[in-house]
Amino acid sequence: MRRITDLSGEAAGVAAGGVYVHLPFCPYVCPYCDFAKWPLQRSRAQRYLRALEAEIAAAPPLQARTLFLGGGTPNTYAPATIAALVAQARERFGLPAAAEATVEMNPDPGLCTPEVFAAYAHAGITRVSLGVQSLVPEELAVLGRRHCAGDVTVAVERARRAGIGNISVDLIFAVPGQTVASWRRTLEAALALEPAHVSTYGLTIEENTPYAAWQARRPGDFIGSDAEAELYALGIDMLEAAGFEHYEISNFARPGARCAHNENYWRNGNYLGLGVGAASYLAGCRAVHTRDFETYCTALERSAAVPGDGERLEGAAQLGEAAMLALRTSEGVDVAAFKQRYGVNVLHRYAAVLTDLRAAGTLDVTPSHVRLTRRGRFIANDVCQAFVA
Amino acid sequence: MTSAHTVRTGLTRVASNIRNFCIIAHIDHGKTTLSDRLLEVTRTVAQREMEAQLLDAMDLERERGITIKMHPVTLDYVARDGERYELNFIDTPGHVDFSSEVSRSLAACEGALLVIDAAQGIEAQTLANYHLALEQNLTIIPVINKIDLPAADPERVKKEIEELLVIEGGDAILASAKEGIGIADILEAIVERVPPPRGSDDYVRGLVFDAQFDPYRGVVSYVRVMDGTLAAGTRFMSMNQRKVYEATEVGVFKPLMRKTRALDVGNVGYVIANIKSLGDIDVGDTLTEAARPAPEPLPGYKPIVPMVYCGLYPNEGVEVSELREALEKLALNDSALHYEPESSIALGFGFRCGFLGMLHMEIVQERLERNYDLDLIATSPSVVFHVSYSDGRTESIDNPAKLPPRDKIALMEEPYVRSTVITPPEYVGAIMELTQNRRGALANMEYLADGRVILTYEMPLIEVIIDYFDALKSRTKGYASLDYEVIGYREGDLVKLEILLNGEPVDALSSIVAREKAASRGRALTEKLKELIPRQMFDVPIQAAIGGKIIARETVSAMRKNVLAKCYGGDITRKRKLLEKQKVGKERMKRVGRVDLPQEAFMAVLRLGDT
Repeated sequence: MRRITDLSGEAAGVAAGGVYVHLPFCPYVCPYCDFAKWPLQRSRAQRYLRALEAEIAAAPPLQARTLFLGGGTPNTYAPATIAALVAQARERFGLPAAAEATVEMNPDPGLCTPEVFAAYAHAGITRVSLGVQSLVPEELAVLGRRHCAGDVTVAVERARRAGIGNISVDLIFAVPGQTVASWRRTLEAALALEPAHVSTYGLTIEENTPYAAWQARRPGDFIGSDAEAELYALGIDMLEAAGFEHYEISNFARPGARCAHNENYWRNGNYLGLGVGAASYLAGCRAVHTRDFETYCTALERSAAVPGDGERLEGAAQLGEAAMLALRTSEGVDVAAFKQRYGVNVLHRYAAVLTDLRAAGTLDVTPSHVRLTRRGRFIANDVCQAFVA
Repeated sequence: MTSAHTVRTGLTRVASNIRNFCIIAHIDHGKTTLSDRLLEVTRTVAQREMEAQLLDAMDLERERGITIKMHPVTLDYVARDGERYELNFIDTPGHVDFSSEVSRSLAACEGALLVIDAAQGIEAQTLANYHLALEQNLTIIPVINKIDLPAADPERVKKEIEELLVIEGGDAILASAKEGIGIADILEAIVERVPPPRGSDDYVRGLVFDAQFDPYRGVVSYVRVMDGTLAAGTRFMSMNQRKVYEATEVGVFKPLMRKTRALDVGNVGYVIANIKSLGDIDVGDTLTEAARPAPEPLPGYKPIVPMVYCGLYPNEGVEVSELREALEKLALNDSALHYEPESSIALGFGFRCGFLGMLHMEIVQERLERNYDLDLIATSPSVVFHVSYSDGRTESIDNPAKLPPRDKIALMEEPYVRSTVITPPEYVGAIMELTQNRRGALANMEYLADGRVILTYEMPLIEVIIDYFDALKSRTKGYASLDYEVIGYREGDLVKLEILLNGEPVDALSSIVAREKAASRGRALTEKLKELIPRQMFDVPIQAAIGGKIIARETVSAMRKNVLAKCYGGDITRKRKLLEKQKVGKERMKRVGRVDLPQEAFMAVLRLGDT
């Protein structure tokens, strides 16, 4: 796998980076999720596809290093549609043949047929990320997921058979009702699938979701930060023991199987987000598209710019973000690379903060790197706050 | 303004058509409504104008349901005898903190309307105000107000008046200020019962009963002329500070300030004299002619002494100079506010501020925060302790952090109050328990006609200011009323209770407590601090110590997990903003050593509940 250290300014002034394509439709909507997403409606899905194609066609030039189809549930769309979309993006952004191309998938057997994987493999998809969440039936029910553990096994087999061996499994911990024992069961079952990559996400209660209403009504049903820390620790211990590298706060990979697309985010690299609610970072500007379906589609139908929010990152805000992102990774902040890119010596600029956080046992500071300690990963917000403006 | 009806009787002048009165009442017994009615009925001012012009329109007082001060106002009243009278109505502050000011306002009057709620009867402040009025020899007109209420029981209240106030119950006027009942009788009684002012003609004496600072005209002194004539253009002297000024303008309140040539015996008005600061004139001071000074000032002057002190410090992001400027400006209009620079190891540079009482302290803090937009840290309130050393030296200590080690101290004294609680009988047990816990000694117990009980205690002031009123209210479902007066200093077995965070003493959290209560206070305080201090990146031990010995310990265990799991599909801005939001919350806190403390932690001692 190629390590991407600096993507700002490759061949002939065209920036290089990741391309993200957002596909917002789901076979059903999960009660904890707050991404831009809607239950599938054929006519809306078709309209959206046209708008997305128009956006890809009109997108700014970018040399793609990775491609990521996220959602929503991309495999809600027919495999041929996905293949065509991948082909269009590949051509438009010059994605190299062997480059990492990921599709997020719901492991529902109807959406994970052998034909789906075959079509994906043919289109050059190299990696699938399965939204497994849990392998314990009660927790899947609480999460509103309709697949079962067996479905995941089938999906993994089918992917491998189609030649897609780079399989990632997404898991959620701190699910209401979850115990250390049940989380261990999920982790064991996930390891048994022999994935190349595992993400463990602590359940986050997002505003305006059914889960937020549930928590407001019965906060006692939710797991507190002490118990959550225990679950997180168990995940780290089991996955590391199984040979996974804990390379980012929520991400674990077999050697060589890190997600290059996501690593680019943490390295503060360029990326182009396409689709409703998608975020981009190009030429020092962060931008995020409207999350409103109608607004997004109408803009593209009128060949107008997609409305949204944006900010130009400069000075302390830029440094803070760069540090915040780098600290999430096991590599941490590379002092020399940071100095070269932003002109700032982290060890000097944040001297007081570093002393403090080191004393608190949350940072490991060496002349070449600043990294979170294991303890620091548990309270990364408290640590990273010290760096944001 | 010389009254046409001044009568000369030898050396004494009688202003027979002037009556000077005030209204005194327990809080919520209807003083403000009655004041409004009197102004309305005498057509002094229309209701709406009054709101805007007369009442001190500061939001804070409105919100707290107290009018600290209303300007004096002159009512024109044609009595049933056909004569026209000048009724000077002087308002009094309605809170125990301001009792020294109350007594100055009372001294400017010959009579007082004592307003009593017909349903609630006599309460603690009724008694306290009554005693203040008696000390000033005022004629008291009891007014039983709110007789329109279904629960009104005027007969019972009359009995209470006879028992407690030694006034004929039949003298009481039945009224409902809200419904306009009895207002005419009240005005008539003011004329009939309150004696006209009398004064000497040999010299001039004017009582300064209040003063305000006007940014354009300097200090405006509110004056009641007791003797002689205070004319514009004369040079006068303040007899206490012995400073001489020229009266550039004198006038009356009709109801707005109206210039006149002179103020005569019995008149209530204002004097403007190019006085730059409220510190240059004392409320209670006597003005006399510089050329022909009176032989002695009016009696009763007492300098205003702050009773309660606390430290005020700028929070993170506020400069100490901003706080100093705000205090300077505030003190222009509040001569009772004392402040001087101090520094704390934990909090840096700030000010030790002295207040009349807890309400005064809260009002000042809120004004600083609201009007000057300052984010402040206030430390726990303290009283002034007197310390005597073995070598005979004595010292006043208004900051617990400055208390020397116990072995250097020969004797410590603390201020005591006499507190009066009036309560329904069923709460007597609870009040006794509470007050004994607060080192109160029962001095007297009396029963009222309706079965209510008056409990009189002598207790340390510090025990009263630390949350006593709230505890009393909660134990009596709000039925008990409280008033108190300072009675002097008494010896106390007192110790400094220190709080250590992370093993380091935090001077701003120390307090002076009775030895017998130190252990329980220490435990309660560490428990409360554990509640108030948010979890940090590391364990924070909280310890209470007396004389270096640890007596209580709690630990705020470290935050176990606080991390954003997701990447939000590359929406880094959103992620950063979440962190920034968390950080802003943290920045409202004060960093002491390595520990982030919320503002409330410094006032924890006020939030211990019934201890």
